[in-house]
Amino acid sequence: MKRALPLLLLGSLCSGLWAQQFKLNLDHLAGKAANVVDISLNGPMLQFAAKFLDNKDPDQATVKKLINGLEGIYVKSYEFKNTGAWSPSDLDAVRNQLKGPDWMKMVGYTSSEDGETADIYIRTEDKKINGIAVLVSAPKELTVVNIAGSVDLESLSTLGGHFGVPKLVPPPHKK
Amino acid sequence: MDWLEQELKNALERKAPSPDFAERVRRRTRGDGFRTALWPQRWLAAAAALLVLAGAGMGYRQYQGNQARQQVMLAFRIAGAKVNHIQAQVKERMR
Repeated sequence: MKRALPLLLLGSLCSGLWAQQFKLNLDHLAGKAANVVDISLNGPMLQFAAKFLDNKDPDQATVKKLINGLEGIYVKSYEFKNTGAWSPSDLDAVRNQLKGPDWMKMVGYTSSEDGETADIYIRTEDKKINGIAVLVSAPKELTVVNIAGSVDLESLSTLGGHFGVPKLVPPPHKK
Repeated sequence: MDWLEQELKNALERKAPSPDFAERVRRRTRGDGFRTALWPQRWLAAAAALLVLAGAGMGYRQYQGNQARQQVMLAFRIAGAKVNHIQAQVKERMR
């Protein structure tokens, strides 16, 4: 048992590292941020959490379905009080990892008006999506999400409209 | 010899133990008497300690599960909100 424990710990650590599909080297921003969300859940943790999700709650039931087939979910989100707390190189360090052949930029936009950029990347293997990366930046915000595992676009679309977020409704057209 | 010396002499004088003294000592050291009487209490204390430990273990597991559930829900809330926001912005720009 004494020999098995370090192996189990090592295995758990390795599975965590393998599940995350790119490095989120943003920890140095935590000290500057007013609000930080740092979530790192690998497959076993997701399965453990799934046991505690309540099927009677519609949101939790949806998440329970989404968890099936997932290998991990990793979120780093920082909100700052002032602009200039993060630099473009912070985001480039993440973006550069998504330039490999496995990743493809699905959608993205840049707003010069409010300085916001956002991209969704998908990772494919054998013509199947097995990972999603979401990068959102604003002058006072930086959020990076990696959902690892077999997430199809249907699952992605079910994310919208839950948790109090309204279903995809375009904002009023500016005249 | 005054009365105090006499009293002390009486008190410290060697007395032979009662005939069953040795047997009583043997019985106690074997645990047939005193220890046997405490057995049920000890078992009860051990069972109570086990129950408390099991309860604490279950409570801790429930706590960990709730923490994991909250983290999963928050992660999907953020992911869902961001994806929905991007979709809305892109759709708006495509008009």
